[in-house]
Amino acid sequence: MKRIFEHPAPSARELNGPTYWRSLDELAASPGFVDQLKREFPQGAAELDGVDRRHFMKIMAASFALGGVGLAGCRRPEVNILPFGKSVEGIIPGLPQYYATAMPLRQSAIPLLAETHQGRPTKLEGNPTYTPHGGASSLLAQASILDLYDPDRATAHRKGGAVLKAEAVNDLLASVGKTYTASQGAGLAFLADQSSSPTRARLVKKLRRKLPKAVWAEYEPVNDEPPIAAARAVFGADVKPIYQFAKAKRILSLDADFFHAESGSLYYAREFAKGRRVKSKDDAMNRLYVAESAFTLTGSMADHRLRLASSHMLALAAAIGTKTLDTEILKPLTDGLDAFVSQKWVEECAQDLIDHKGASLVVAGAHLPPQVHAIAYAINALLGNIGQTVDFVAVEPASAASISDLAAAVKSGSVKTLVILGGNPAYNAPADLDWAKLQVSVADVICLGYAADETSALAGTQLAAAHYLESWGDARTADGTVVPVQPMILPLFGGITQIEVLARIAGEASADGYALVSDTITALAGGDADKAMRRFLHDGILAGSAFAKTAVNFDQRGARALFRDDPKKIETFSAKNLEVRFVTDHKMDDGRFNNNGWLQECPDPITKISWDNAILVSPKLGKELGIYPQGSKLQIARVEENEFSIGKENSRIFELSVGGRKIKGPVHIQPGLSNYTVVVPLGYGRTVTGHVGKGAGFNAYPARTVAGSDVATGGTLTDTGTRLLLANTQEHWSMEGRDIVREANFDEYQKNPGYVDDIGTESHSPAIYGADKTPTNDNKLSREDRAKQTTARAKEIPRGGSMYATPKFDGHHQWGMSIDLNTCIGCNACVVACQAENNIPIVGKDQVMRGREMHWIRLDRYYSDGRAEGGAFGGEGNREIPEDPQVSLQPVACAQCELAPCEVVCPVNATVHDEEGLNTMAYNRCIGTRYCANNCPYKVRRFNFFDFNQRQLDSLYLGQLGPKGMPELVKMVKNPEVTVRMRGVMEKCTYCVQRIQNGKIQHKVAMAQAGRPGDVVVPDGTIKTACQQVCPVEAIEFGNIDDPKSAVSLAKAREQDYSLLGYLNIRPRTTYLGKLRNPNPKMPDYQSLPLSRVEYNSKNHPPSDHGAHGHEGHGPAPAAPKAEKKHGMIDTAKTLGGLS
Amino acid sequence: MSKLFPKSANKLPLQIIIYLGVLVGIATAGVTYYMTPKYTRVGYAPLQPVPFSHAKHVQEVGLDCRYCHSNVDKSAHSNVPTSQTCMNCHNQIKTTSPLLAPVRESAATGKSVPWVWIHKTPDYAYFNHSIHVNRGISCVECHGKVNEMDVVTHTQPLSMSFCLECHRNPAAALRDPKDVFNLDSKRLADQGEAGAKQAAAFVHDWKVKPPQSCSGCHR
Repeated sequence: MKRIFEHPAPSARELNGPTYWRSLDELAASPGFVDQLKREFPQGAAELDGVDRRHFMKIMAASFALGGVGLAGCRRPEVNILPFGKSVEGIIPGLPQYYATAMPLRQSAIPLLAETHQGRPTKLEGNPTYTPHGGASSLLAQASILDLYDPDRATAHRKGGAVLKAEAVNDLLASVGKTYTASQGAGLAFLADQSSSPTRARLVKKLRRKLPKAVWAEYEPVNDEPPIAAARAVFGADVKPIYQFAKAKRILSLDADFFHAESGSLYYAREFAKGRRVKSKDDAMNRLYVAESAFTLTGSMADHRLRLASSHMLALAAAIGTKTLDTEILKPLTDGLDAFVSQKWVEECAQDLIDHKGASLVVAGAHLPPQVHAIAYAINALLGNIGQTVDFVAVEPASAASISDLAAAVKSGSVKTLVILGGNPAYNAPADLDWAKLQVSVADVICLGYAADETSALAGTQLAAAHYLESWGDARTADGTVVPVQPMILPLFGGITQIEVLARIAGEASADGYALVSDTITALAGGDADKAMRRFLHDGILAGSAFAKTAVNFDQRGARALFRDDPKKIETFSAKNLEVRFVTDHKMDDGRFNNNGWLQECPDPITKISWDNAILVSPKLGKELGIYPQGSKLQIARVEENEFSIGKENSRIFELSVGGRKIKGPVHIQPGLSNYTVVVPLGYGRTVTGHVGKGAGFNAYPARTVAGSDVATGGTLTDTGTRLLLANTQEHWSMEGRDIVREANFDEYQKNPGYVDDIGTESHSPAIYGADKTPTNDNKLSREDRAKQTTARAKEIPRGGSMYATPKFDGHHQWGMSIDLNTCIGCNACVVACQAENNIPIVGKDQVMRGREMHWIRLDRYYSDGRAEGGAFGGEGNREIPEDPQVSLQPVACAQCELAPCEVVCPVNATVHDEEGLNTMAYNRCIGTRYCANNCPYKVRRFNFFDFNQRQLDSLYLGQLGPKGMPELVKMVKNPEVTVRMRGVMEKCTYCVQRIQNGKIQHKVAMAQAGRPGDVVVPDGTIKTACQQVCPVEAIEFGNIDDPKSAVSLAKAREQDYSLLGYLNIRPRTTYLGKLRNPNPKMPDYQSLPLSRVEYNSKNHPPSDHGAHGHEGHGPAPAAPKAEKKHGMIDTAKTLGGLS
Repeated sequence: MSKLFPKSANKLPLQIIIYLGVLVGIATAGVTYYMTPKYTRVGYAPLQPVPFSHAKHVQEVGLDCRYCHSNVDKSAHSNVPTSQTCMNCHNQIKTTSPLLAPVRESAATGKSVPWVWIHKTPDYAYFNHSIHVNRGISCVECHGKVNEMDVVTHTQPLSMSFCLECHRNPAAALRDPKDVFNLDSKRLADQGEAGAKQAAAFVHDWKVKPPQSCSGCHR
């Protein structure tokens, strides 16, 4: 008998779950979207384009015939083993080695451990010795290893087109120094990127002493450190703040995206999570207020989020300051703020800060003017937060000239030789400087760059820079700790480093990178030089080198001086006078990662656009611009033209004009923006770049000036009438808006920690584990008992009365994972860490638009606004794009279901369970029917539609006719512990099975050699999956659920643990911990229930039990009659389960 | 109308069926025999750049396997020695032998001697030496009596069924851990009743439970 499991039709009363919608299409239920829901794969994702069956058979017949001819080659090809001629110390073939290094970025660095295989770095992880990061690293650090193997990087030093040998480069640099010695450097200028390297600082000091008349300028297109002018005025000292978020109970962010854009964001995210994580109802939870113009990850975590133009932040800061500092001085600054913020919002927010003296924190964004920072410092000082939630450390004031100074010098004709060290000013310098023209006017330009770019293209001499994984160097982290930059491999193309260049120009005795760094470190460390250096390289940090905390005294007079000017009247923005915010892109940063395929393909965490940037506008502005979709065709910045545009965002190209400067780019309507703020991400639209970055996005720098580099006003948008398809992954793999992310307010959690069980179907679901063993009943057990129960259930046979035979789960371990949605900030680091660890290919924009991206873990971003009542699918009340939604984030990877639906449909048993509970995937067995992906409720299986590892992205459709093979360089990044999959094979998350197997083997070997061979269970915490390891907020726990005391078992025993789509009786090994929000009941925008719950309730309960705690009393008993009808499918399953 | 088919054609269908049956039988038999590792691999003994004799080095010189394959108990990969290892002795003896010229050259220049790979598992199978030799599986189980070979020959099929046979019944292949590198030693199971008992105890005490599902070898 064929069983047909009908999912309940997602209509008003029958759909059981909160309304989450990941795209406005979904919210509006446009016909195309509904159609897409019915399809397993988006249009085009499952079809072979341009080849019909007949043609296919013809081609195949030919290849079969050829195959016959080739039979003579049956014998295995002869393969060689090539051992080293001379033994290499420390290298054991087959075992990776780990070295400490660091990725420098602007004025900070991320300490790393590099995994190398026989001298070839393949994966980077955070260095756990640096405790502030605890082994975590960022999205950019994870992807930076791909740049090392970028086939488009500079492969030779060149002068006027001719290749320079290393000796010639050395001579050239030495001659620069000699030429300008006589004139004391007059005529010589340097333009460098920012760096925290103590060695570079030392060499620059020496160089400037030797050539005092030379210009030393530094330029970074984005600034991620608070302006020192504010600290100098308020405290009379050159200090910068280091925030201690873990100690802060109440946090107010003024346009500060401290999860991403601020220096030290990795540390801040981690510390913030410490204050956010709630392990039991007795724990405290921090509260986050965010006022921002863009929609950032920080804003998405906010308990109270205020949409406010960046230009109004000063007024808001002043208003908060007026209340908290109890002063009238700031009052004039707040004039006109009432039009944008309710008085009550300000007062209650300020009161909450006052109520938590010494445990509150005000953070201002680095791009804001010094006055805002001064007010923030003042509030922190007067609330007693300094020394508690914020420390100040002394920093050296910048002594470098700015790029404007340098531009003036060039204009005056006084610069004869210009040495550019890193950076890409021809691309990203302020537009009013017209840098490209200035650079050409200098007679002799020497440019040290990593790849051919806009700047090197205009330089007479181009020197190839070494990647940081090829360089000797050093750097400081955001808190000042000195970390080594250690080479993992000799420069692949003879690249040189900045310190080597500087040493040669300065005429140092030795220009050897190691010697230069060693000199600096041993001077800093003191004691036995050799020992100090060895320890430094071994640990990866120089102990005790962090900036010393300094006591600061609030100087009222100094602070007042900052406000001497008459306050400007608060500006009112409109469609004719837009505020334009230039922001660093999550992936491209300022453009330096432009040719990195992993980053290009990674969707933006908020917009979910990959391979492009877009001009982000608010829904209100969209309406005024006339691009607001109407009726059921409500969607983001496009009108559906045909059904093929599903999954592709058919965006309109607008011209953005600021101060007479114009840029063109696609427009994306982004809920949550300040009404008249236009957000423009930087870093795209490079003209001279590699194969990957070419053609991606538009360049926003031409609209940026020295004065308006972060925030500009007076912008206007005009439609160009043209369109661009954007690859937007937000509509792919929809989960139909059920009880996906379960949330509650903190006060509800304190009363009912097991709130997750009252949401969704399981509270009245039939016997998954037995009639009386509902999650609600389970929560009556103690945590220890629940952990033991999880352990017992993991090995239960038969499972759920299933007729399908799965292997006995009798291994020494049972693997499981727990993901804490309460701390996940959606940074996407796990996505790229997984890509690096598991050899996941990129597929290109065209394939992403077809829904063929290969990421094994994805981050779902759901919006909810509380108004999606009566069903999100075509119901009333959903005709407006919400302006201020709440965001729920959820990472989803294969959940390793114990009763995996994918396994029962595989015709060749390519995906089966192993004895430790892993849903394994045998690639060499897979024949590519894709039935498993059809049957996967999470949509986490990925199919190799093309030979992405063998074919170039631009010739995928040529098939066998296209060029085959990848450059050797690209192959070098592959992890040798993981199979490189070929075309026609399904793949998915394996819980990093290679790490599990190697971890088990290493443990068993160590125990056998230690004489304890029976000790085969790996200690908890030894094996970490790549996503868990990289997570800055420690949201992921992984381990052995067979051990009730393991970290993962303890996490799963927490009351807010739930299974995603648990009612399907698939028993996922990955479970989630429900999300919490901590709003302030006194705030005007207080929501007594998370908006997703409001939607959930209004959908599933009659309006009568709607209300503040509409879900109370919603237990199995009263809901039972409804449930019977609602969950017909499950009842069917129950009956069938007993049918046999 | 003349007869289109002679009478003998009546037998044709039967003949065709029989011939086809025989043909398919032969093809099946051929494939099962000739296309399996038992035929394609066993007996593979390629010419090496240096005619190195394991028999001579083990039996006459008395070297342990681990003198050259020094990381076999640490790493997944059993390393082939560097030329420098060879030169530890050969800078003393046979210093001018023309047969050793490639080794001398390699040790001097650092370039590898291109040894021909004999026991090769496919790329998608991740075999780990260290776990086997540390837990009672001797070299001889997969490599045969290399200590008696002048020319190394592939003696076992090393097919998936070969692996699984042992993984399903590990007790039959276990050796006393101290005998693992003694290729002339006997398996515990072959040492009479006492040995069999010892093997069973080994499996129990060491919690020997080799993986039998895909994830054990395929990643």
